[in-house]
Amino acid sequence: MTKGKRALALLAFFGGLLGILLGLSALFQPKNNMSEFGMEEVSANGILGERRDSVDLLVLGDSEAYSSVSPMELWRDRGYTGYVCGTSSQTLDYTLELLTRALEDQRPRVVLLETNAIYRLVPAQKLVFTPLASRLSVFRYHDRWKSLGWNDLLGETRFTWTDDWKGYRYYATVSGTAPGDYMLPTDAQEEIPLRNRHLVEEIARRCQEAGAAFALFSAPSPVNWSTPRHNGIQALAQEMGWDYLDLNLLPDQVPIDWSRDTRDKGDHLNHAGAVKVTAYLGDWLADNASLPDHRGDINYARWDDALKKYEGVVQSG
Amino acid sequence: MFSIATYFSVQYLVVLLPAAFGLYAVLPQKGRRWVLLGASYAFFWAVSGKLLVYLLFSTLSIHHLGLWMGRLQAGRDQALAAAPKEERKALRARWQRRLTGVVAFGVVLHLGILLTVKYTPFFATNLNHLFQALGLGWQVRIPAFLLPIGISFYTLQGVAYCFDVYRGKIPADGNLLRLALFMSFFPQIMEGPICRYGDTAQRLWEAPPVAWENFLFGAQRILWGMMKKMVVADRLNLFIRQVFWNYAEYDGLVIALAAVAYTLQLYMDFSGTMDLALGSGQLFGVTLPENFRRPFFSRTIGEFWRRWHITLGTWFKDYVFYPVSLARPMKRLTTWGRKHLGPHYGPLLAGSVALFCVWLGNGLWHGAGWHYIFFGMYHFFWILLENLTEPVTLRWARRFHVNREALPYRIFQMVRTGILVCVGELFFRADGLRAGLAMFSKMLTQFSLATVKDGTIFTLGMDKRDCLVVALVVLVMLVVGVLQERGHGIRQNLARRSLAAQFAAGYALILSIVILGAYGVGYAPVDPIYAQF
Repeated sequence: MTKGKRALALLAFFGGLLGILLGLSALFQPKNNMSEFGMEEVSANGILGERRDSVDLLVLGDSEAYSSVSPMELWRDRGYTGYVCGTSSQTLDYTLELLTRALEDQRPRVVLLETNAIYRLVPAQKLVFTPLASRLSVFRYHDRWKSLGWNDLLGETRFTWTDDWKGYRYYATVSGTAPGDYMLPTDAQEEIPLRNRHLVEEIARRCQEAGAAFALFSAPSPVNWSTPRHNGIQALAQEMGWDYLDLNLLPDQVPIDWSRDTRDKGDHLNHAGAVKVTAYLGDWLADNASLPDHRGDINYARWDDALKKYEGVVQSG
Repeated sequence: MFSIATYFSVQYLVVLLPAAFGLYAVLPQKGRRWVLLGASYAFFWAVSGKLLVYLLFSTLSIHHLGLWMGRLQAGRDQALAAAPKEERKALRARWQRRLTGVVAFGVVLHLGILLTVKYTPFFATNLNHLFQALGLGWQVRIPAFLLPIGISFYTLQGVAYCFDVYRGKIPADGNLLRLALFMSFFPQIMEGPICRYGDTAQRLWEAPPVAWENFLFGAQRILWGMMKKMVVADRLNLFIRQVFWNYAEYDGLVIALAAVAYTLQLYMDFSGTMDLALGSGQLFGVTLPENFRRPFFSRTIGEFWRRWHITLGTWFKDYVFYPVSLARPMKRLTTWGRKHLGPHYGPLLAGSVALFCVWLGNGLWHGAGWHYIFFGMYHFFWILLENLTEPVTLRWARRFHVNREALPYRIFQMVRTGILVCVGELFFRADGLRAGLAMFSKMLTQFSLATVKDGTIFTLGMDKRDCLVVALVVLVMLVVGVLQERGHGIRQNLARRSLAAQFAAGYALILSIVILGAYGVGYAPVDPIYAQF
């Protein structure tokens, strides 16, 4: 075989492989956003089932995000439509992917990123794998070979499921702590890993492109947060011109009672803590973002239905 | 920082290897060897960071020791040439003593470093247990060392180089960079194979140009290794972890299955990594020595170890077994044995002492723990038993007209060997000797089919479909193994087929990894097992 023929053979091989992988991706892609269809992280991906352009506030982050912001509180008190795309131990590569997916159908006016994920190092492996898996979903959903059916071969993809909790995870458990003053003043600054910084900047850029205001917030957590971390994020926010709310430094506005408002000794808030954080964020959004009040709008009737279910649970809990 | 954890990481497969190969392909020969050396040190740095100083020290000192011995050998030859005939014997002995002193110094230094960083905590812990048992109030501090990756592998390569120079098998290498490349070549430094200077150093230094066939065969071998590791070894991990961590909860059958699964995992993980290492080497036109030759076709434990981790076995054979069995006291023992015990059992005496040293070393090389020593002694016992009973077995086979070459008898031997290996690996994987003994005892005393009958066996990390995938791959490997045993070269045969057939084989391999690979959510890939040794 001549050099030219070899090059052609290689090109044909990889071209064919790409074609097969694209075909398999269409096959393996869950055809609905429910776990029965093989969808991962259904709570965060519930946003895919929301009506087009109906979510005005998007909250991103790890378990700190889904434990501290309750969109139903915002809906009840202010008529804001929010959704939390939070997943456990979320790394920023996945944050970016969730944002990208959400922006396909939604045009949020504000995107809030909880900062704990910014200090979780993104493994280099994921920098390659996550974008690859988002384009060729066979890499993410390959394990679905165990449950593939005719519907996967012939059916259309339609995301129909929505989460009544809008990504928030409700925990009524109390496991208190006495953290003392965990935000002692210091000039020390915890460095943000370089690849994480690039990813935050990319997330902000995508938000800007989509016309959404981007801001950072740190949920109260004596286990995960500290002044050096605050300083690191503050410096980044200042440099990039982003708003930054560190609720750990606002004990008067967000009066967390650590003996009652945490479910796991200060690692995460419980529902009582989340209500306080959400109330503060609601005030901040009212002052800083002109989100519309959709209460009474017939197009948002399902949010009222979800609120009834939400209140039924939290009042009995 | 750019860091690498395994050969199966994106950093290795997508960044380092393609970058090194790309540069290697476009540069002239002089540049190519620098690419290999640079990539090797970059790899070591990416895995072990500042611990690179260990490798640098070993390389520099081994190089210096080699030159030192080379100078002594040259001096000896000059002195012998000038000396009268009757003085030559004494002169040779005097020079030999000096040479032996240098090689002994080198071996003690390098094995000493290995022993210190790897085994001091083990020895210190046992010393404290001893003090406690004797009722003494003494306690020694248990130090903790950071182990550079591959120290067990490159140390053996360096020691082998010293011995080979000492024995005059190879000349001392004056080229420090060639030796550095031999010691550090990145596809093999983490888990072997353990190379010999005479086999690979010059080829590496020559840095042959990229060849289409090498590229093709190398890539195929890498994919084959990835399939073994990602489809089978990583898939078995959930079941193995579940059972070995909670063995008290399971009956004998589950433990037996876990022992078989672990043996399979170890093979798939290690031989898969070797495929990747050898495939990577082949991309650069370098043929690294094979470390596996279808070990589960072995009919005896002795044969098994000639087919499993071959380069470690030959290292122990050349640098422990022969030196011990050919030492003067052992020769005297053999002579005495022949006289009193006959031609079979006589030489066995000295051979057994050497074999004991080999298996003690082999057990300890795998790790600092009593269960590793037990693992070594376990294999020593079976090989010794095979040696001792061989004449009896042959006599019985003749008397009862058993055809030892008939397929059923060979299969019986292979199954028997496989069972013995699985039991050995059970102790190897168990969390200490006590756990190993408890698990083995359960296999004998609490054997039950209940978990299979009620289906709970499929809830321990692997469902029926997972088991089917493993069975399928094992079947494919069995067919490939049989073909290879019969002398068929799979890749060579494939290269003669049409382009469509070659494409189909490539796609099948890649898609089996992409679809059936145990990666992503819900899986925990097994850490490179042999990199820990």
